[in-house]
Amino acid sequence: MSDKDQLIKDHDYDGIQELDNPLPGWWLMTFYITIVFAVVYYSYYTFFGGLTSDEELAQKMSAIRSEQQQAQVATSDKSEEYYLSLLDKPEVVEAGKNEYMLKCMPCHGNLGQGLIGPNFTDDYWIHGDGSVAAILEVANNGVPDKGMVPWRGVIPEETLEAVSVYIYTLYGTNPPGAKPPQGEKVERK
Amino acid sequence: MSSLTAPNQGIMDRIVYDDDIVKLFIYATIFWGAAAFAVGLLAALQLAFWPANLELEWLTFGRIRPLHTNAAIFAFGGNIIFAGIYHSTQRLLKTRNYSDFLSKFHFWGWQLIIVGALITLPLGYTMSKEYAELEWPLDIAIAVIWVVFAVNFFGTIAIRRVRHLYVAIWFYIATIVTVALLHIVNSIEIPVALFKSYPVYAGVQDALVQWWYGHNAVAFFLTTPFLGLMYYYIPKAANRPIYSYKLSIIHFWSLVFIYIWAGPHHLLNTALPDWAQTVGMVFSIMLWAPSWGGMINGLLTLRGAWHKVRTDPIIKFLAVAVTFYGMSTFEGPLLSIKSVSSLAHYTDWIIGHVHGGTLGWNGFLTFGIIYYLVPKLWNTKMHSVKLMNWHFWIGFLGILLYYISMGASGITQGLMWQAIGENGQLVYPDFVETVMRIVPLYWVRFIGGSLFLAGFLLLIYNVWVTIKHAPKKETISYVEVPPLKSDVTAIGSGHRKLEALSLVFTIILFISILVGSVIEILPTLSIYKYLPSSEKTEPYTPLELAGRDIYIKEGCYVCHSQMIRKLPFDVLRYGEASTIAESMYDRPFQWGSKRTGPDLARVGGKYPDMWHVRHMINPREITTNSIMPSYPWLAAKKTDYHILRKKFSVMKMLGVPYNDEQVANADVIAEKEAAKIYEELISQDKSLESIKDTELIALIAYLQCLGQKTPSEGVPQLSK
Repeated sequence: MSDKDQLIKDHDYDGIQELDNPLPGWWLMTFYITIVFAVVYYSYYTFFGGLTSDEELAQKMSAIRSEQQQAQVATSDKSEEYYLSLLDKPEVVEAGKNEYMLKCMPCHGNLGQGLIGPNFTDDYWIHGDGSVAAILEVANNGVPDKGMVPWRGVIPEETLEAVSVYIYTLYGTNPPGAKPPQGEKVERK
Repeated sequence: MSSLTAPNQGIMDRIVYDDDIVKLFIYATIFWGAAAFAVGLLAALQLAFWPANLELEWLTFGRIRPLHTNAAIFAFGGNIIFAGIYHSTQRLLKTRNYSDFLSKFHFWGWQLIIVGALITLPLGYTMSKEYAELEWPLDIAIAVIWVVFAVNFFGTIAIRRVRHLYVAIWFYIATIVTVALLHIVNSIEIPVALFKSYPVYAGVQDALVQWWYGHNAVAFFLTTPFLGLMYYYIPKAANRPIYSYKLSIIHFWSLVFIYIWAGPHHLLNTALPDWAQTVGMVFSIMLWAPSWGGMINGLLTLRGAWHKVRTDPIIKFLAVAVTFYGMSTFEGPLLSIKSVSSLAHYTDWIIGHVHGGTLGWNGFLTFGIIYYLVPKLWNTKMHSVKLMNWHFWIGFLGILLYYISMGASGITQGLMWQAIGENGQLVYPDFVETVMRIVPLYWVRFIGGSLFLAGFLLLIYNVWVTIKHAPKKETISYVEVPPLKSDVTAIGSGHRKLEALSLVFTIILFISILVGSVIEILPTLSIYKYLPSSEKTEPYTPLELAGRDIYIKEGCYVCHSQMIRKLPFDVLRYGEASTIAESMYDRPFQWGSKRTGPDLARVGGKYPDMWHVRHMINPREITTNSIMPSYPWLAAKKTDYHILRKKFSVMKMLGVPYNDEQVANADVIAEKEAAKIYEELISQDKSLESIKDTELIALIAYLQCLGQKTPSEGVPQLSK
């Protein structure tokens, strides 16, 4: 059939005519399928026991929390001796310094002299005894009340260890513009 | 168009069409198009290269991006819609426009509103609701001008000489009726100053109403009017009949009925109640076929004229435009599936999706129409067909680069945000790392945008030379048509009859867009009544409210969301999922639609005040690779405490539980709050004396309270 045969009579708008073609079958089928899908999907999630968004989130989060706990158990038995042994690995100290410059320097100064946050170079410590383990503890969990960010989950554990080792090396460097001592004086072992 | 030959039968009316108004709107389309594309290019550059924010408050990304979207949609898009409607409606109804005065009033009123937007948006006067940023005086002006347009349009229908309304006219009616409803409902706001107001909706209500509006701005401003234009200009340019009248009927009614429901797909996985999200998703999926009905009817109308796609650049522009329409309306339903949305939402994929529609569909259709109209209106030929072809290919390449780069950027960053390692921790916890990865793609997008603009410059040159060399002598063209007969038998039956009854048609249309609107929005209007009292939120203090308005003014919401979705990777990165209660006093809501920077819903208490001071003045000092603009002026401009009493009284009127004492002393309370923050800062750094009472202090008060306003919430415990 040529187009002429299907022109609809009396449909002429400023010279535009219209053909009497039927709706394309595949198009109509697509439309029907989406409507059926809509009804089924909506009914399932609204009336017939589909998980709510809160339930789904709770399920997924509990799986993630248990993964996190397992991972923590595996890494939590490191000793101060182990951390101190990292001091002999220049690549670790270097990696720690790099991360320090990105994340710690804004508050603790480029030389550890203290800025918003406390000075790392003297022997006064607010939290802990200045050991690598104590520094790592604060780096991981932060001091939210004072604005120290808990970096666990933001910086990988190994990098945090390297940063803590680097901070440990700053002791006694006497940088210019050092912030006055804060906290308790501790004896470094 | 007939000449002076004598009519064959009866008395003929001689009509002179008003083409001057069409010419004016064409000029405006071209002028504002260049502006909109240039501003868009600046915004694109700012993301690739942060110094392009120029450290000027009027030109930072947060203010430039809304200017770009408003200019592109309402100035470029709006003017071509009006040009095409005034041109085609006169011819389809065989009558001159109802009123030349109203046409001119419409034209100049609309241009003044655009100028108003051009001035107020860079100054930071914004509602922060997307595509509805303009403040209340301009909202009123838009409503007035839209009514003028409606009176003129329906007046033209009333004096028509053609009994039945053609499908293009159906789409124009849908546009005019629905945009009026959307604009008025979404803009109900209480003024506190000449260019500041608070919406009557709060939090989740405001989010739902806004995206009901926002999505249907796409539907009834960028889709239905352009489909109407397609139905006139494609058959005219190709000289072919419309493929299927039946398809026109079915896809028109299904499109307008279903589209209005789809808004909540902008809020998937958020705190919006599940049922509303699901409605938004399933209606978006059902929208696929009705949208494709339009594409099929457009493309198949070209059947038998396909050879012209090779030779005629106008057909080339129109055919590719319709193809882009098909692509976007397939991608849209896909992105509305909850799981796909969890990857794509807040990323550049959405930006790519939108520009496939706007550059490809709206842009190319507009260019095709301009190239069709200019020779007709100026009674000449286009200066250069070759330049039209160049425009086509350069523009097409520009769109491809834009679309591909943003799709790649969105998927890359979305996957990085989602990645969780075997230890249950985020693989890319540092947000800026995911930004660094996509900056090269921002440069590709910038190149794509440059090409699109370059192609448009060819259009400007080509049109300019064409008009300059057009015959100077004005030939008044007229047509002779028989007057409308009051012949009842000729009306027809079924849908055909409806096409002859314009008022009934308009009423049925209004009802069909009202159904979805009412069912979706009404239940949320009483949502806060049903919140358990344990979830109730503390309202903002005076200084926090002042800071919040600065946050809005600077357009922070353009890059930062305040909505932690119910998705594990959002919760790991930002803390517990956001709740409805948390934004119950948020006027306007600040959930955001894009994360160029991290979510801020729980940023309160995460960093010390000093961190924020230094970060706002120069973000690079805190985060070396940050692409955020610097905001040094915040540390110099004083906070307006005085207006807080007015603001508090309006908030109290809107139902926020402030007592009279708080309202009466809002300014004094704010000053005290600011003094406390200032003294703490000055004790740490003596050089900060000048920031006393500045906007920076107020903004910090606001940022520090985010996520701290409900009893059960606190600093997110990332590892618990």
